[in-house]
Amino acid sequence: MANLTEKDIELASRAAEHFTRLYYTAYDGATRVDDVAAFYRPTSSLTWNGNPKQGSEGVKELMLGMPPTKHEVHSFDCHPIFGNQPPSLLVTVSGTVTHGTASTVPSKSVDKQPRVFSQSFMLVPDANAPQTQAGEVAKYYIHADAMRFVG
Amino acid sequence: MLSSPTPPSGSRGLAAATLRSVGLMDKDARMKDATEKPVRKGGVHKPAHKTRSHQPRAIDAIVGKNRSAASSSRNPTAAARIAVANESLSIRGASSKVAASSVARLRRNATTVNPGRLSGITTTLVDLWRQFVQSRYNPEAKFLNLENMLDDDFIKKNNLVPPGAPSSSQKEAAVIFKLAKELKPPVETLSLARNGLTSSVHLAAIPHYLPNLKNLSLEGNALRSYKDMDLIAGRNGKLEQLRELILTGNPVRELQYQNNRVDKYKSEMSRRFPRLEILDGEAVAKIGFDAPHATGASSSSVPAATSFPFEMGGPFVTGVDGSVVSKFLMQFFPLFDSQRTALFDAYHPSATFSFSANTNIPPRARVEGFHYSKDMPNQRKLEWPPWLMGGLGGSRNLSRMKGGMEKMAKTLHIGSEAAVKAMMDLPATEHDVVGAPEKFCIDAWPVSTADGAMNLFLTIHGQFTELPSRGIRSFDRSFILTPAPEGSRAKQNGWDVVVLSDQLCVRAYSSHEAWRPGPMKIQTGDKTPRSGTPTADAMPAWIATLSHQAQTQIKEEASVIPEPQRTLVLQVCQRTGLNVRFSVDCLGNNGWDLERAVANFEQVKGTLTREAFL
Repeated sequence: MANLTEKDIELASRAAEHFTRLYYTAYDGATRVDDVAAFYRPTSSLTWNGNPKQGSEGVKELMLGMPPTKHEVHSFDCHPIFGNQPPSLLVTVSGTVTHGTASTVPSKSVDKQPRVFSQSFMLVPDANAPQTQAGEVAKYYIHADAMRFVG
Repeated sequence: MLSSPTPPSGSRGLAAATLRSVGLMDKDARMKDATEKPVRKGGVHKPAHKTRSHQPRAIDAIVGKNRSAASSSRNPTAAARIAVANESLSIRGASSKVAASSVARLRRNATTVNPGRLSGITTTLVDLWRQFVQSRYNPEAKFLNLENMLDDDFIKKNNLVPPGAPSSSQKEAAVIFKLAKELKPPVETLSLARNGLTSSVHLAAIPHYLPNLKNLSLEGNALRSYKDMDLIAGRNGKLEQLRELILTGNPVRELQYQNNRVDKYKSEMSRRFPRLEILDGEAVAKIGFDAPHATGASSSSVPAATSFPFEMGGPFVTGVDGSVVSKFLMQFFPLFDSQRTALFDAYHPSATFSFSANTNIPPRARVEGFHYSKDMPNQRKLEWPPWLMGGLGGSRNLSRMKGGMEKMAKTLHIGSEAAVKAMMDLPATEHDVVGAPEKFCIDAWPVSTADGAMNLFLTIHGQFTELPSRGIRSFDRSFILTPAPEGSRAKQNGWDVVVLSDQLCVRAYSSHEAWRPGPMKIQTGDKTPRSGTPTADAMPAWIATLSHQAQTQIKEEASVIPEPQRTLVLQVCQRTGLNVRFSVDCLGNNGWDLERAVANFEQVKGTLTREAFL
């Protein structure tokens, strides 16, 4: 178990940036049921506001019932996790999310304001996934995901 | 008339000043003299070196003006090009009479003022550059080849000053990239190889005009520093699409190679261009995802949901003895508040810790006015700098982190000692995990690792009092925990699990009501039936009191009536017992006024037959 190098850190940060952009674009997109599910595997576990779901199928089920969303990421962070190589990654995201079709009328009521969300992902390399791009160290998927509205 | 040509000095001044600042007028002293006088009168003139320009705007002004003045140049047939070239040569050469007399003619004929002379010159000079840029474009390959401009015959012949030439400024480059933006199809590949570029000021306009550039060669220039690359770095709306970059032959690369800092060089570059795939001809190491690729699939035909699929759930802890989680938290937070050094044993020797500040104002908390609440008198004393700058390296918000590797590495604290030291430099806190458990929310479950071991994935959301202000902040903290080995120092000191990874996000205060279990509303579209068939729950509840047959009928008939009429119709049905068809008639005869319709019904109800009713 080699110690974490600067290269691990740089690679992890870049991966997190790439991941958050892809993930929330997919989540807010028109074809999100399949697109979001593609980030998971059958063994993935996740919770949505304390409601557990299992695997890509569970994600599809969740996304089918989800109103349209608009996420804004305000901060994110990522660590390579000591242990295996390539390392697993812990990514945490903080931002706001609005559900429903876009409102044209600005409202002062609390219920109409975007919520603050906090989402943490454990990303792990998929040993079986084929390399699809030159330079790809590994293909990662979401192994665990905990999302909550927190404000 | 001739003697009072009332020129709009502002616009003339702008054009002249812009030209001069672009560096396109300096070489022709005569023209300078001829144009400066009226400009000075207008009081707009400033010497080029003092002009503080926002070059995109200045260039917009030039080319915009040029476009309307010389629309023929947009159709650059060979003949037109030659004509433009000739005109320009005659202006720039010995005889400026042609231009002057044509301007005089224009003036004589003008009923409105036309700053013809200036726009004529602008047209010519920009057209020279346009001609050059077009001659270097390969539209099939979408490749704009601006290699070695100094040695170009056309450049030499016309005394143009290309970027990188000794007397050049960043303005020439801005003109060129602005013109490159006009090329069709849009430029994907740009080479600026071997132009003697010593600084990236010449590149600064590229992201503005060619934001979707995919491949860029800067080979064989004299770019020196990573900072030079920040001007075009692929974040914050700059070259985000860049997939290939060549810096071979620049000191910024070659010095790193000579000093065995290849990895560092590669990291610095990939960090600046997140989508980079090929650097100096080599594939860039990256982590891939099963990213949704535009499949062209039409969007789902399933109608969008108008409510959440689930209610807010309570804390979710599974697959692990709940007491492990609560014991850890009850040990951890009191020590974090009172004695952070004692947390040393709670961290794995290779643990990672970082914290980040999300300084955005939470929208709901803002509306609720917590910041000015009498119940929370210390909120206004809270300040962000201790979180942004403290903790031996500062906030690690990667979405805000620009530039190089240093800050990114410095803000990640590796090893138990570094982790605890960083925490000790953060503001003192009080987490009331014992006294007010409802103010915290936990989700936790075990996750397997690649070698079959089990770790614990734990997230906690909550609030703490910050000292000394005693203001209240919210936080999210995510941990990866791993069992403490038997006989380890951690185990001896009472830790069953130790921290492998710990990420703390500190936010402005939001109420813990956010995770109170129960139903939640979405912001917009909730309960408003969309056009089309209304769902059963969009129908008013009183309908359930009707016979099954009547229910079916009323739903069927009402469903074809658009809103807002449908709501009115159903209200008339409810208050009068009329069926949908008669309710529609009744409302229609009363100008769709509910009260008038009901009053009208009261007058005539004795005359109605059974078929009018539900």
